[in-house]
Amino acid sequence: MAKKIIITNEIRKLRFFANEMTQQQLAEKVGASRQTIISIEAGKYSPSLELAFKIAEAFNVKISEVFDYEVKGDL
Amino acid sequence: MSYQEKRSIVSIVTGLIILLAYFVYTYTKYQAGVVSEGDLKFWAGAMLLFIAIGVIATIIIQILFHILLSISIAIQAKAKDEKCDDKEIEKEIELEMVSDEMDKLIELKSNVVGFGVAGVGFVFGLIALVMDYSVAVMLNIVFASFSIGSILEGITQLYFYRKGINHG
Repeated sequence: MAKKIIITNEIRKLRFFANEMTQQQLAEKVGASRQTIISIEAGKYSPSLELAFKIAEAFNVKISEVFDYEVKGDL
Repeated sequence: MSYQEKRSIVSIVTGLIILLAYFVYTYTKYQAGVVSEGDLKFWAGAMLLFIAIGVIATIIIQILFHILLSISIAIQAKAKDEKCDDKEIEKEIELEMVSDEMDKLIELKSNVVGFGVAGVGFVFGLIALVMDYSVAVMLNIVFASFSIGSILEGITQLYFYRKGINHG
């Protein structure tokens, strides 16, 4: 079985701790659409490195504190 | 439902209406005996006419869609906060219609589907000619495949917006 990398994120939690920032506000900060933020948060879309860094910057944290990954399947 | 999903649905419905209108128009003429399979001038003319109608209809429907969407956003914004001014409403409309990297990726992947269907249709059209079908049949296969490709492009976009998309 081929390995599959699943990108996970903590955006929802980080939004909550950033004065309950809305998805729209985050989208505005990083220059993306709300639909994209919804998809990233739900794990339906893995953002580009550029957008991932922008999201981390919006929360003033390192990228590794926002995104992580899980490996599924055999290595 | 997001702006992008609504836009995809509008595009699908427009494509379906145009394709259906083309087939109703040509089928009724063909059944009435007004045109024959060999009347290539008619078939080419009908296709050109419906391509033109398709382009104009798409532009008009997209404009109407954006106007209606802007009105609904303005109404929602006013309902939320009566004091919000025009600038805030304008900003909300702009934010709703913003296009980013995910939209571009979805567009690219759905384009592959659209062009793929059109390409397969062209090959089937050539096969039809090899199998001694008339040129009108070949033209209709090609026209239908381009139209269906465009509709499937919209459906693919809708699918990716709903189910998500990954690079690669």
